[in-house]
Amino acid sequence: MNYDEILKEQFNNINNDGKLDELTKQTSNLTEGLSDEFVPEKLLDSILNGQSIFYDSQIVSSLKELFLLEIKSAMVICIEILFISIVIGIIKGLSDSFKTKSVADISMLICTMVIIGLSINSLKTSYNLALEATTIMVNTMEILIPVLIGILISTGAITSGTVLSPFILGTIGGMALIIKKFILPALFLSCILSLINSLTEKDYVNKLAKLIRNVSLAVTGFLLVIFSGIITLQGLLTETADSLLLDTAKFSLSNFIPIVGGFTSDTVELFLKCMSSIKNVIGIFGIITLVLLLLIPVMKILSIGIIYKITAALSEPISDSKVSSGLNDMGTSIIYICAIMFFTCLLFIIFITSILSIGGT
Amino acid sequence: MTSVYIFIKDIFLIIISISFFEILIPDSKISKYIKFIFSMIILVIILEPVSLFLLNL
Repeated sequence: MNYDEILKEQFNNINNDGKLDELTKQTSNLTEGLSDEFVPEKLLDSILNGQSIFYDSQIVSSLKELFLLEIKSAMVICIEILFISIVIGIIKGLSDSFKTKSVADISMLICTMVIIGLSINSLKTSYNLALEATTIMVNTMEILIPVLIGILISTGAITSGTVLSPFILGTIGGMALIIKKFILPALFLSCILSLINSLTEKDYVNKLAKLIRNVSLAVTGFLLVIFSGIITLQGLLTETADSLLLDTAKFSLSNFIPIVGGFTSDTVELFLKCMSSIKNVIGIFGIITLVLLLLIPVMKILSIGIIYKITAALSEPISDSKVSSGLNDMGTSIIYICAIMFFTCLLFIIFITSILSIGGT
Repeated sequence: MTSVYIFIKDIFLIIISISFFEILIPDSKISKYIKFIFSMIILVIILEPVSLFLLNL
């Protein structure tokens, strides 16, 4: 019996409930066919044939096209805001020729409010994108983790599987809840506050907005450190217990059964090794899927953020400095939303890698 | 979460109305004091959740 036959048979046994196929289909729909290169079957084949999994450079070019498209569509808002900024500049220049100062002030206020309305619209777009991306990532993890834990247990890592499974699933749910209910709304609110701040001559809520923003980012970082630390430590500890168990089983199998014991022990070891390479294949597939799922929303959000930064830089010479600083803060907040998506994805990738590193015997 | 939204909405409305009033008040000696009172109002609005938190302790 050849080892690739064993691998394929075991893989089909794992895949016969169709969960992975479902995941592949969903990812392919969401990423517009970017993920078709990275199906588990293809990854397994390329491992068996000794090939690299990144053999196509098409993915880079399609990503570049997508990014340019997003930048182009976000450019419309940039031009609208710049136009209003020019109007503000003209009003500011003409304010001496008006009879009273208040006419010019009120018209500038109204122009600023139009800019705020436009900005809140695109802020809402990026906020919804971030919420959606979080939901999709969590769904992916909730399909993937039970499959991985099942494979982990069948490689002989029984303690790790039973200890880590509830912990990882609970953490994913909790993290998603915290991100969706607290962190993202807090960033949204801080963004609105920094936009309101551009209305008034004096700084009223500038520091408050920055405080909320920094606290939300710090909380996310803190959660990331705590969860990944706990899971790594737990994994290290349970791995020792598992290897102890496995070694005892192998030793007793080869020594206490006469004549065929040695062969049986070797065969068992071969099966376990095949299982652990399947675990690695599915883990890598999971990581690639997560990254690809995150890539498109993050690119959309990031292009909006960059466009706001550029608009702030362009409107500084012509319009009020308050407006440009408000737009700049808004760009920073949107990039922070992006950073939080990135942190969440990083946490999930750490989970998958810690499962992969267990039971690599 | 709704209380936070109400808080931000309050700040939004108060700041917009105050910036309108600041433009509309005529230039005189007393305008400085009026602006100070406006700042006090915003301070009270910002501190409102803190006072609610302390009362619930």
